[in-house]
This record gives sequence, C-alpha cells and structure tokens, in this order.
Amino acid sequence: MYKLLLAGVASVLLAGCSDQSWRTTDIDDIMPPLDFTLIDGEGETVHGEDYQGKATLVYFGYTFCPDVCPITLARLGDTIRRLDDETRDNIQVLFISVDPSRDTPEVVKRYADAFGPEFVGLTGNQADIDAVTNRYRIAYEYGEANEDGDYLVTHSSAVFAFDREGQAQFLVRDSHPVSDAEADIKRLASQGG
Amino acid sequence: MASNVFDVLNTRACRGLALGALALMLGTGVAQASTLEVSNPRLSLLPGNTPGAGYFELENTGESTVTLVGAESPAFERVEMHVSSEHDGMAHMHAIESLEIAPGERIEFAPKGHHLMFMRRVEALSEGDEAEVVLEFSDEQRLPVTFAVVSPASL
Ligand SMILES: [Cu+2]
Repeated sequence: MYKLLLAGVASVLLAGCSDQSWRTTDIDDIMPPLDFTLIDGEGETVHGEDYQGKATLVYFGYTFCPDVCPITLARLGDTIRRLDDETRDNIQVLFISVDPSRDTPEVVKRYADAFGPEFVGLTGNQADIDAVTNRYRIAYEYGEANEDGDYLVTHSSAVFAFDREGQAQFLVRDSHPVSDAEADIKRLASQGG
Repeated sequence: MASNVFDVLNTRACRGLALGALALMLGTGVAQASTLEVSNPRLSLLPGNTPGAGYFELENTGESTVTLVGAESPAFERVEMHVSSEHDGMAHMHAIESLEIAPGERIEFAPKGHHLMFMRRVEALSEGDEAEVVLEFSDEQRLPVTFAVVSPASL
C-alpha cells in the first residue's frame, strides 16, 4: 500500500515537471552553462554568451575525420530539417574543433556551412580549446602522424545540448536511439523563452 | 608481368607444364573476379580538402576465402581501410591491414564502422561525380569499382 502510494506520488511529480525528463542523458545538474572563448569562421573572437537566444547543440570533432564527424553532423542536420520553419530558427549547432592546427577559421567555416545554415564552425588556440573540453569533461588525443604528416584524433562522440539561456540540458550518446535524440532536440528547440 | 613468368619458366625447360600452369593461374583469376560482388559503392565527401569515406557492400559468392588488403584511386594520394568504433564516449578510428571474407559472406563498409578513408585529393571532386577505385586482394586480384560521390547528408 505504501509502495503504491509512493509510485502514485512519483508519477504525479513526473507528470508535473515534464521538462525535467529528457529521454537522453539529463545533464542539467552536472554540466556548467555554455561558456568559452573561441574563434569563429570569420576569425573573430567569440564567447559562449554570444550564442544565447537559441537552443544550442555542441559537438567536438575535427574536419580530417571522414566518417564519424560528418555522419553525426549530417544526422543532426536531418533532425533539424524535419522541424517546422519556426522551430528551426530557434536552434543552432556549434562544431568545436579539437584540432586547431589543421582547422583554421576558414576550414571550420567551409566545413560547418556544408551541413546547413544552422551550423557554426569554431576553432581557437589550444589553451582555449582545452579550457572548453575540460569544462565539459571530455578528452581528445592526437594519433601519430604518417609520412604525409596526416594524423587521426580520438575525441568525444557526444552531443551536448543547451537551452536558449545557455543552461546545460541533455547529452546525446552514440548508444541513444535516434528517435530519443530527435524527440529531445525537437522539444528543446520548441521551448519558448 | 606475364612475359616474366614465361622467361622464368622457359629457362627451366618445362614449357608445356608452364603454359598449363599459366592457363590455370589466369583461369583462376577470372573465376575469382566473377565471384566478388560489390554493391552500392559511395564516396562520402565534403567541400574543401577534407578526407572522404568509402562505403559499399562486398559479397564473396565463390568457394574460397578472399582477403581484401587495400584500395587505391587515381583521385586520391592515399586510401586506407579503417574502422570507426566508440567506447566510453570516445570516437576512435584505426587502420586495418586486411579483411577476410569467407565463402558466402557479405561484408558491409558503412557509416560509423568499416570505411575506406580517402586522403589528399588529387582531382577536384564534388557531389554527383564518379570516382574510380580499385579494391586490392591478397591474391593480387584487383577489382575496379566506380564510386558515386555523395554528400554525408545522403547517408
Ligand atoms: Cu578513417
């Protein structure tokens, strides 16, 4: 009886604050708000707060990555393309390079532009990139260069989501079903503000 | 190549046997080529000089195991076989030297798994173009395949 009552209370609570139950991993309480100092595709210094006002998805990668990075970004682009026009205007995707020696502002701009107008390419000096990757507790590691000087980079595969005030909301991992990621992204972009 | 085989075998004065052996070699080669079926070859590429990824399915309809050992393309300086994987929230990618395909087996090079990694474009390529690629096998067999250049958004 007591257990039943508890279950009843829990379901009422859950229904009452539906905006707390993301289907993917909730990072509301564990990740800090969106903040960084980086360089955009025009070579201008930008800060996290410059991207407030829209729901923001953040992915850390590198442009020399032919498979995982473009596929992840293209699928985010698909999800965004399926939103209605108004909702689509309320979301942006930041691609933050962890490979600044190859990813110049010009390179990240051309790369991000290829996925759609909602995509923004950011790079920076190594210290500023380390500051943002440390802030979100993710790692990256450079592989050995081959004789052409080309190397691979091991990097976080997660997509971080922030609301229009820059507050951390959820994190999409590779293991999450695409439908869950889509539902959360849609709901985040639809939130008024 | 063929003339070298003749030269070597001629000096051993067993010409009849050599011709027989050669015919067998050529015959085997032809038979094997027809037992490999590639479908859906696509080369995912973005503007600029970033590397591309090659995806396809390959079926071994023959009776012996074949080993894919690499690929090359006149449109790129370097082509490698890679595998992407994910553990503990990290995306990894590493090169592999060879891949065995058993009789009757069908392997898939697909997004976030096995892929050909095409590095350093020699020719300008864009969506809608075609790229010639040769798949290389351990028995010297070479299988030419035409890849359609596509955007990763189409995958
Ligand atoms: Cu690769």
